Amino acid sequence: MTEKTKNKVIVLMISFMILLFSIMHWLEPDKEFSVSERRKLAQFPELSGERVISGKFMGEFESYVVDQFPFRDGFRGMKALMSQKIFGQKDQHGIYKSGDHICKMEYPLNPESLDRVSDRFLYIYNKYMEGTDVKLYFSIIPDKNYFLAEPGGYLRMDYEELFAEMQKNTGYMTYISIADLLEADDFYKTDIHWRQEKIVDTAKRIGAEMGITLDEQYEVCEMEQSFYGNLSGQYALPTEGENLYYLMNETLKNCDVFDYENQRRIQVYDMEKAEGRDPYEMFLSGSLALVTITNPWASSDKELVLFRDSFGSSIAPLFVGAYKKITLIDIRYIHPDLLEQYMTFKDQDVLFLYSTLSLNHGEIFK
Amino acid sequence: MLFSSITFLYYFLPVMLIAYFIVPKRMKNAVLLAGSLVFYAWGEVNYVLLMVISILIGYISGRWMEHFRGRVRAKWGLILSVGIHLGLLGIFKYTDFFISNINRLTGSSFPLLKLVLPLGISFYTFQIISYEVDVFRGMAAQKNIVKLAVYISMFPQLIAGPIVRYEAIAHQLDERICTLDGMARGLRLFILGLGKKVILANTLGELCEIFKTSSDKSVVFFWMYGIALILQIYFDFSGYSDMAVGLGHMFGFALPKNFNYPFIAKSVTEFWRRWHMSLGRWFRDYVYIPMGGNRGTKAKWLFNVGIVWLLTGLWHGAGWNFIVWGLFFGSLLVAEKLWFLKKLERSSWLGHVYLTGVVIIGFMIFDADSVAQAIKNIGGLFGFGHIAFISNESQYYLRSYGGMMAAALVGATPLPKRIAAKVERRWPIVEPIFLTGLLLAVTACLVDGSFNPFLYFRF
Repeated sequence: MTEKTKNKVIVLMISFMILLFSIMHWLEPDKEFSVSERRKLAQFPELSGERVISGKFMGEFESYVVDQFPFRDGFRGMKALMSQKIFGQKDQHGIYKSGDHICKMEYPLNPESLDRVSDRFLYIYNKYMEGTDVKLYFSIIPDKNYFLAEPGGYLRMDYEELFAEMQKNTGYMTYISIADLLEADDFYKTDIHWRQEKIVDTAKRIGAEMGITLDEQYEVCEMEQSFYGNLSGQYALPTEGENLYYLMNETLKNCDVFDYENQRRIQVYDMEKAEGRDPYEMFLSGSLALVTITNPWASSDKELVLFRDSFGSSIAPLFVGAYKKITLIDIRYIHPDLLEQYMTFKDQDVLFLYSTLSLNHGEIFK
Repeated sequence: MLFSSITFLYYFLPVMLIAYFIVPKRMKNAVLLAGSLVFYAWGEVNYVLLMVISILIGYISGRWMEHFRGRVRAKWGLILSVGIHLGLLGIFKYTDFFISNINRLTGSSFPLLKLVLPLGISFYTFQIISYEVDVFRGMAAQKNIVKLAVYISMFPQLIAGPIVRYEAIAHQLDERICTLDGMARGLRLFILGLGKKVILANTLGELCEIFKTSSDKSVVFFWMYGIALILQIYFDFSGYSDMAVGLGHMFGFALPKNFNYPFIAKSVTEFWRRWHMSLGRWFRDYVYIPMGGNRGTKAKWLFNVGIVWLLTGLWHGAGWNFIVWGLFFGSLLVAEKLWFLKKLERSSWLGHVYLTGVVIIGFMIFDADSVAQAIKNIGGLFGFGHIAFISNESQYYLRSYGGMMAAALVGATPLPKRIAAKVERRWPIVEPIFLTGLLLAVTACLVDGSFNPFLYFRF
């Protein structure tokens, strides 16, 4: 090959590639949502003189072309592959693979966050529970990184410090330790959440500490399609799907579940969500501010108030057998001041159940 | 607009190239100028007018000085126009630095103006000044304002250089030939520069950011930061310069090379002959030599060197750390010339160790938010501040970024070029495949939305 021929090949190949992707972008219809990244994609920005002069149009256009670029997922995978296989980078934007598990590297510990969360808990306690007959419990769910980081040589926040600090700050609640009952395989391989069918023993431990016995029997039901969790797309490289199970019995079938945020009745397991973008949202229809589960077959009038994050959605159904009513409150979506419009705290069991992920990102709490 | 953006690569560049090559020859400069204004406006729409005014002043003063050549009016024309350009640069770049120092010294509280620094103002101001000075010295002024505007605002070199002397491309503004070989040469340089910037510099920049936010710093982490920092700055800026030169070739211009493997130098003297060469030449031609250079007494020479490096520091940024950075390198240059340059040049490894050490220290000063921060970071290299030798965090990031740092260290030497030349001789097809693969890899990094600031934007 002569120099001249080589130069022709260079110009042709590069020009072809640039033109191909340019034309493809203009011809392909814009997408609204990225399933793999679980987020809305930027759309063509509004064009006006004012927005051009302020530079907003240009900034949004840059985001738009990146989000709508042809084969976006393929390119993200290529980037991840290159970083890992050629340059030996151990994580991709803090996401790593350990065995079959995709995991988010939660690091470092954020003491300000723990202070903020503790303040919010104390605020709720002072406002609603101080001087009442409620029994207060607190439990922390370690995230997957707690189990996987050290063996894989990844960074882990000081979980022991987090547990100790949160216990110290919440002395008005009875702490229930559950970390020793859990292991990495109790979590989905491609998602941050725990698997409902693997946490029955955890629910029993919490129940026992709260003075209730959980002896319900469940049928383990399996979803037809494979489950790809929220870490799957973020990891950018291909991952294997896994089975999604849920526990069912007659009590759960007959529960009355009410979503106050949208003023509607829902099911314990939302089959529409199970086939949607984030199948974990099948548990109590995902992230909702205020939900009640009423058990018409309950043998007592006991009530549980569960302050929770998304991990609470899958464990709450396991408490149903022992309570007449369970109220799930997510203070990431509802300000604590609004709670008095919906309920009165008097003699309930109150459980604050949060994952280390939420506690280390206290800015999300209202 | 950044060269290292999807908008530039897949939207602006193809449209620009198609428009440039379909118009007749006499229209090419106008197309290039229009494209350059769009390119500039994309990132800084409010300051297009400022650049246009600067161009107009340059044009008028050039014609004025030519008209009154040899007369005192020409001199006044030069003083006035250079004064205006430096005044504009001073207002936008140094006013807040000046006010904050006045406030600190006098205890007053004059409010800061908080003006946004116009993109590339330091670069295009120096180009206009070089044009005006050269015309004053006897070079013919450009009579066609479009051609002068193309020289000043041409998008390949507008926001980050290289700083091109007018006489170096004056004839290319009138007559240039675009060939397939030139296009291939340009694409080759452009894509290699893109790879340097997007794959190497951006990843090393991530490591530097991780270091800055870390609360678990150790001696090893400080050294990792120091090494990653100098490599990041090198690949960032030299990558951008390569892209500029490559784009120049695509449009038929031969722009000067700006970097020549600075890390293989054995002394600071040699380093600065290889680093940001166009800026060094500018200060030599328009400041150092007019001041007398090394002619005269030793004290005069020291004064001249001091002024040049003070200005070099200030050119890079309005902050005391930049001034200290400039004077640090100026002092080392003087010390080398007076005492140990020859020893360094004769040494096999001592020069490299010395240079690496002083460059790390120098750029830690450059990158710091303040002089106090710089001192703290430099102290960290030697274990000051009761820090551990190594921490879990530094071990992890050493494992995670070690491969990238090793690749960057090798990439900063001429070794890859030598290997590529051998491979090319044997298998010529490898180069087109490699360049296409590299462009795909860069696209992947950009689509992934990785860390992508351009450091020299602040200048």
